[in-house]
Amino acid sequence: MKLAAFVIAMAVAAACQAAPEFGGQVRPQWIANQANRAGPLARAVALQPGIAALPASGATIETELRASAHGLSFVGTLQQQRLEGDRLRNHAWVNELYGSAEAAGWQFSAGKKIVGWDVGYGFRPNDMVEQETRRTLLSVTPEGRPLLMAEHFDASTAWSFVLVNPNKPRGQFGAEEPALAARVYRRDGAVDWHGFARYGAHTGASVGAALAWVASDAVELHASVRALTRADTLASDSAGSSALLRANPWQNASVSHPLQALVGATWTNAAQLSVLAEAWWDGSALSDAQWDDWAVRNRGLAALLGSSAPTPAVAGNLAWQASAFSASTNLRRANLFARLSWQHDKWQPAVDLLYTPADRGRIVTGSVGWQGDRVRVDAGLRVYGGPSDALLAQLPTRRIGFVAATWSF
Amino acid sequence: MKKLTLFAGLALASLTAFAQDVPALLKAADKYRMSSDNMQVETQISVFNTDGSPDKERRYTVFAQQKHQSLVEGGNQHQSLVLMQSPAEKGQKVLMLGDDFWLLMPGSQRPLRITPMQKLLGDASTGDIATMSWAEDYSGTVAGEDRCGEPEQACVHLSLSAARKGVTYQRIELWLGKAKHEPVKADLYVQSDKLAKQARFVMDKAAAPTAVTAMLLRDQLTNKKETQVRYLGRKEHTVPEAWLNPMFLARNPALE
Repeated sequence: MKLAAFVIAMAVAAACQAAPEFGGQVRPQWIANQANRAGPLARAVALQPGIAALPASGATIETELRASAHGLSFVGTLQQQRLEGDRLRNHAWVNELYGSAEAAGWQFSAGKKIVGWDVGYGFRPNDMVEQETRRTLLSVTPEGRPLLMAEHFDASTAWSFVLVNPNKPRGQFGAEEPALAARVYRRDGAVDWHGFARYGAHTGASVGAALAWVASDAVELHASVRALTRADTLASDSAGSSALLRANPWQNASVSHPLQALVGATWTNAAQLSVLAEAWWDGSALSDAQWDDWAVRNRGLAALLGSSAPTPAVAGNLAWQASAFSASTNLRRANLFARLSWQHDKWQPAVDLLYTPADRGRIVTGSVGWQGDRVRVDAGLRVYGGPSDALLAQLPTRRIGFVAATWSF
Repeated sequence: MKKLTLFAGLALASLTAFAQDVPALLKAADKYRMSSDNMQVETQISVFNTDGSPDKERRYTVFAQQKHQSLVEGGNQHQSLVLMQSPAEKGQKVLMLGDDFWLLMPGSQRPLRITPMQKLLGDASTGDIATMSWAEDYSGTVAGEDRCGEPEQACVHLSLSAARKGVTYQRIELWLGKAKHEPVKADLYVQSDKLAKQARFVMDKAAAPTAVTAMLLRDQLTNKKETQVRYLGRKEHTVPEAWLNPMFLARNPALE
């Protein structure tokens, strides 16, 4: 509640200044989750109901408030959520709250801010600051990172230096890690060039490069590559074993010298039919060998059933196996993605497919959006599937349906 | 016979004189929409259904800037920064630097390079809103003289072809008032040479026009809807060079 009051106070304070910009949106939405009947978490819950939370359906209302004036910018979100089997819960958070100023030809920002880098759609190796979640069902405003930023712009070059998460401990994981990041951008006719560098408090140095090239009126090509000294991940010290453990074997770890790369293209015609195709490699994801060991352990744990092993212990160990799904942004290292979309008057239908060649897993998403003057309506369905041993077919969720209405003011 | 020959000769001479002056005619016509090289234009787009009922309304702030010949090889470059101001689009920005385009969606704060095809946004393409200069973007000939407009008046008919590939319309048939060279109407053709839209221009004062106050666009390709582009305010405004850097789109400069 205190946070909610703070959010509202900041919005009002910013709006009360001279000539402020003020706006926002209210979005009621319904998400229907169908839990998977396969996979380690489903097995664990079948053995010991309630041992882990399965994806739940429910209604959410999100109110986003935006205000800016005199170099101060604010975006905050209030959320009321009621999931099946749960009480009404209220949350509030600040997406952005930062001040900006210019001095000696440099632009400075300090506070909590969204800083999005890189050129891809499905995966952004060089999104070094925000590390935004990709391929969300609905477009959402991410929560910015605490940072200090200095930028310099001329007609075709831009330099950015960002000290991100300066207030966080050195050992923080993933996007919470304190780091110094830099980007240089150069526009060269039809090509945008980007260079990136980052030094993380415990992951060390990484460097990257990206380009976006408008090859013709209809075609855009993009590519991005990043080489890292280390990347955060999860690893199990009981790989391949079926021994029952007293603690989750999946613990924070790091992978050395991973490479991340993406290539992609978009094609759009005059009727606003658009095709996006991307392929990417994420060397920070668990390797095929690690997933093979994971599968072996899953089978070993399941085989313990009927033996003298206590069922709750087997269920608990199976539930911990689902931790591996959050080891990195991508489940598999090699990924293919395609998206077909069409903008026709107020309607925006789209269908996309994420495919993992290693195990032929897939996520298919179909959606349609309708944009009015102030109201936007979105609805869609996402289905996870593939052969029974595919990782995407073993995630806790099998299907997600959603419908949302967004009223902007 | 002599009279007819004389008349034909005079008509031909008149057309030839106009033909030599097509760039000057276009510059004169441009002045009614953009009175200075560097402008801030507040624009309102209203779309009407075929039965005249309102369909949607959008507001834009357009910074139209001219990069001069000395700075750009091969000619002046038209640059536009379009800020979407309507609630449904608030925070979206489109930057056009000649034939190059970028889009910023408000949630991501990540400028995105887009193709010329992707800049066609709905009933009034960004090009309709942002492009203020015929003189820089088109070359052409005088096709003849006509009666046009309401009330009807003597007009010069120009056939224009795009001088660069990034413009929204590859061919324009444009009618200007013969006396004051104000734009009266235009037929706008896309790359496939299909008639995409027909435009009519509304002037502030019919007898002594000084500025275009509105442009009425009738869609001829798909839905036949009418789009009214109203210029709510114009003022001379030169933006800092940094504002026209694509990566600057993610910043939030205070607008005057």
